[in-house]
Amino acid sequence: MKELFPMKQVMGFVFSILLTTIALAVYFLDMSITTGMTILLVTAFIQAAVQLVVFMHAGETKDKGAIYTNVYYGLIIALITVFGTLLCMIWGYI
Amino acid sequence: MKIDNSLPLEYSTEENSNKILGFWIFLGAEIMLFATLFSAYFTLVDRTGTGPTGAEIFEITPVLIETILLLTSSFTIGLGIHAMRIGNKKAMLTFFTITLLLGLGFLSFEIFEFVHYVHIGAGLQTSAFTAILLTTLGTHGAHVTFGLFWGLFIILQVKKRGFTPETANKSFIFSLYWHFLDVVWIFIFSFVYLKGMM
Repeated sequence: MKELFPMKQVMGFVFSILLTTIALAVYFLDMSITTGMTILLVTAFIQAAVQLVVFMHAGETKDKGAIYTNVYYGLIIALITVFGTLLCMIWGYI
Repeated sequence: MKIDNSLPLEYSTEENSNKILGFWIFLGAEIMLFATLFSAYFTLVDRTGTGPTGAEIFEITPVLIETILLLTSSFTIGLGIHAMRIGNKKAMLTFFTITLLLGLGFLSFEIFEFVHYVHIGAGLQTSAFTAILLTTLGTHGAHVTFGLFWGLFIILQVKKRGFTPETANKSFIFSLYWHFLDVVWIFIFSFVYLKGMM
């Protein structure tokens, strides 16, 4: 039974739950938008990284370089899309 | 077909590891798809018109239950892949079944949530905000729905054929898809719900 629950994955799960709990602080505690957004950004990205490395085995084989390059590429385009949109649709008018 | 026994079964042939790399490229495209939805959401989040705002319609309890269900399902499918690597078919099938049941639980809550939104007057056509909210959540929910069927067929194949380079490869790729859905949900949970209720 024990060999079915590898330590690495159990710890990854516990860590994910912990990060979710920390993120919940923005709901239960009274804080400024800046503090709240900082907490959310940090916990969300760490949690995504945990999934990628612990559960999705991103760095396991010889394709490691290609896989990470591709994920970073997707991520960079995603961030440019989101922040570029915010810049020209929201922030530019304030 | 050359089988490399030093690698896990799902990577064991050239074709298999290419399929896994190919799926990662697809996931890269999915990241960009959800980025466009998030961009639209952040742009329209305050355009509520005469409809409700996020703070008025979001409820923490169902959202938290959905998050826990999906996080746990991501964990159990990870255990399923681990069980597959140590060659334990029964455990792998059990973990995959638990994963799909948790996914089904998640989906039930989400459908209930959608019905509730429409019921309280926050339908797809109410405002720009509700339109993009339901589109973003719906795209994720549609992915989960698709995943449930996909996973079911994977379970049936493994049950019938056991672990072969093909079925192991398919199972692993499905697990990548499922983990990815959890990653997207983390961002929805943080930047749609928690930010909306902050």
